[in-house]
Amino acid sequence: MLYQFLGSAIAVALLVALAAWARIARPTPPLDEAAARRILADEYPQVQPTQVWIAADAAAALARAGEAALLLRRHGDGYTARKLPWTDLAAAKVDKGRVTVDIRDIGAPRFTLAWPADAAWPPEAAA
Amino acid sequence: MKSAPDHLIHAAFDPVTLAIPFFVLAVILEVLLGRFGKAKSNYETRDTLTSLTLGLGSTFSGLLTFGVPFAASLWLYQHRLFDIPMTAIWAWVAIFFLEDATYYWFHRIAHERRFWWASHVNHHSSQHYNLSTALRQTWTGGVAGTWALWLPLAFVGFPPAMIAIQKGISLVYQFWIHTETIGRMPRWFEAVFNTPSHHRVHHARNPVYLDRNYAGILIIWDKLFGTFQPELDAERPRYGLVRNLGDFNILRAVFHEWIGIGRDLVRQPRHALGWLFGPPGWSPDGSRETSAQLKAEWAGRHGPTAPPAPSAAPAVEPARP
Repeated sequence: MLYQFLGSAIAVALLVALAAWARIARPTPPLDEAAARRILADEYPQVQPTQVWIAADAAAALARAGEAALLLRRHGDGYTARKLPWTDLAAAKVDKGRVTVDIRDIGAPRFTLAWPADAAWPPEAAA
Repeated sequence: MKSAPDHLIHAAFDPVTLAIPFFVLAVILEVLLGRFGKAKSNYETRDTLTSLTLGLGSTFSGLLTFGVPFAASLWLYQHRLFDIPMTAIWAWVAIFFLEDATYYWFHRIAHERRFWWASHVNHHSSQHYNLSTALRQTWTGGVAGTWALWLPLAFVGFPPAMIAIQKGISLVYQFWIHTETIGRMPRWFEAVFNTPSHHRVHHARNPVYLDRNYAGILIIWDKLFGTFQPELDAERPRYGLVRNLGDFNILRAVFHEWIGIGRDLVRQPRHALGWLFGPPGWSPDGSRETSAQLKAEWAGRHGPTAPPAPSAAPAVEPARP
């Protein structure tokens, strides 16, 4: 049993190393508004954002649609999105150039956005 | 109570164990084909690590939970209705179809009822669709009890060893269909068997593809029971969960739905039946979305089978903080 586990662990390590060497992840260029809207339209097709903001590192975005906020963040070479009340988003604080939003979802408990310390939060004020 | 010789109880070989070298070589081949541009293949390092570790962990979690299913199967076989010979060709043909039909219903329940979805969700938690994804096997299937669906086979009289071997054959078959490197198989094959194309649909989270193609080996069950959906050229599959996970944490992939169920039960115990056995996405106030709701919204926008038009150009100029 121990040998089987060790052999399997070595095989896993070698396959992961091979995948890293191959560099065949999907390309994830910096997000711009068009890309963010396109991804959010797939994630929440029934929601029509009126405004989209791109995070400072272009790896995340947030959008407003009425009283709802949509959050989008790069995850590996894909994206994770969540919808929450705008008031919940607005309650988050900027700390050292980052905003951490509590989603209260065990699948993605919090989203962290790179957000300049001198930029307004919530972002509506910066529009 | 009827007794049985050991070779009818314990399988002489495990198809999955025998296939492990093939699994490893096939993943290597798929990576190399992608690396050298010979076929469509995407691997992300942390996603691959998660997939393979989930596969490794599932073998050990299976060791912890196989005792009860084995004992139940053995007890029913000791009270079997018929003596089905393990050496007869007709018996293997029969178990091939019966096991595959059982798998279809197991898989359908595992998607359409939240309690069993909780044990199956980690298999769908990758945003990738490659051979490593096939190895994202359940850690909690033994606890969820879906193994009970195979018990009638032992009660009818199929030896437990025969059932175990056929289940293994089905699992090995389902490995190779987790790939984007193969487009479509010959038409006759696509009509009868589960294929990479059919199973891409199953792993896709596009609304039109949700809760479709539950087949193990034969796609005929989906056609028979109304859950078949062909892959549409204009609707590229997007893989993963309707709401994807936020990180590569293995424990989150395995347990997040179970924890979600627990939280919902504590918050609203009077809706326990709905939280446990409603479809994934069910909520008493309808504030969450089930697959049926997502599909209905999609059909409302595009018609029942029409693929969506390309996304419109953005209407608002980008704003940066």
